[in-house]
Amino acid sequence: MAAQRVLPQSKESLLQSYNKRLKDDVRSILDNFTEIIKTAKVEDETQVSRATQAEQDHFEMHVRAANIVRAGESLMKLVSDLKQFLILNDFPSVNEAISLSNQQLRVLQEECDKKLISLRDEIAIDLYELEEAYYSSSCGQWDGVELPLCEAFHRQDSWGSPEMTSSTSHVNPEDSEHLGTQESMQRQHNGHGSSASDQHQS
Amino acid sequence: MANDRLRALEDVEKEIALVLQSAGTIVLELSKEKANASLLDRQLNQFQTSINRVESELSGQIRYLTQVATGQPHEGSTYSARKDCQMALNRAEYARVKLGELGRTCEMMLDPQT
Repeated sequence: MAAQRVLPQSKESLLQSYNKRLKDDVRSILDNFTEIIKTAKVEDETQVSRATQAEQDHFEMHVRAANIVRAGESLMKLVSDLKQFLILNDFPSVNEAISLSNQQLRVLQEECDKKLISLRDEIAIDLYELEEAYYSSSCGQWDGVELPLCEAFHRQDSWGSPEMTSSTSHVNPEDSEHLGTQESMQRQHNGHGSSASDQHQS
Repeated sequence: MANDRLRALEDVEKEIALVLQSAGTIVLELSKEKANASLLDRQLNQFQTSINRVESELSGQIRYLTQVATGQPHEGSTYSARKDCQMALNRAEYARVKLGELGRTCEMMLDPQT
């Protein structure tokens, strides 16, 4: 509780310090600029010689101009601090930014998934036709044993090159798992395919 | 909303630069033998307008922050939505890679026949 009471006070004192800095810097710019304009006025009667007075005025203008620039820099720093404070503590806008971002990401994800599902449906239709062609042709047989399509695909890869044979032998355990998942996916999504193969066997 | 306030603060920065520029132009014009009165008037008006705008805008922002600021950190995040979107894009990329492999295999099979 004590910690919670301390934090708001520091935020309040921070905002009060921002107000003070703003007032001081604006006041500094206005006063120094007014004094420069007043000093620019040429006076006939001077207490010291004209050259000395000119030198003094020149130095004073230099200092006041430097003060104006310093106040301008301080205002820039104040703006930077306000931007930082705004980003960290302006909860309404942070909430809005978060919800907008979440909405955009969700829309993108839904669009992606919708397109993947439509792609899956199209490929399922084409795969049905491919399986029909495959199981009714001689390619589906190897040494008199009927091969599933994925197994024949895998064997075709290994026939392709001797290098691939060694590489496939290395990744065989992963591939067999992958084949297992592919076969199970096929059985799940292509019920007509499995029924076609059952028909061929019978 | 957040972007509007930040954009307003960026405009304030430009106004501050305009204040210093107009002050410099006025002093430069006064240093000449024959000062152009109309230019002096214009630059002085610009100086006063800009400094008033800077002060009012910054006071407004500080007033808004006084009303809105709490002592607590904001704990909101877009992590979950971003992760889900990233996984969806990964799924699409995986499908694309697999379809590419399938396409290449079909082309390989077709080439000896043609």
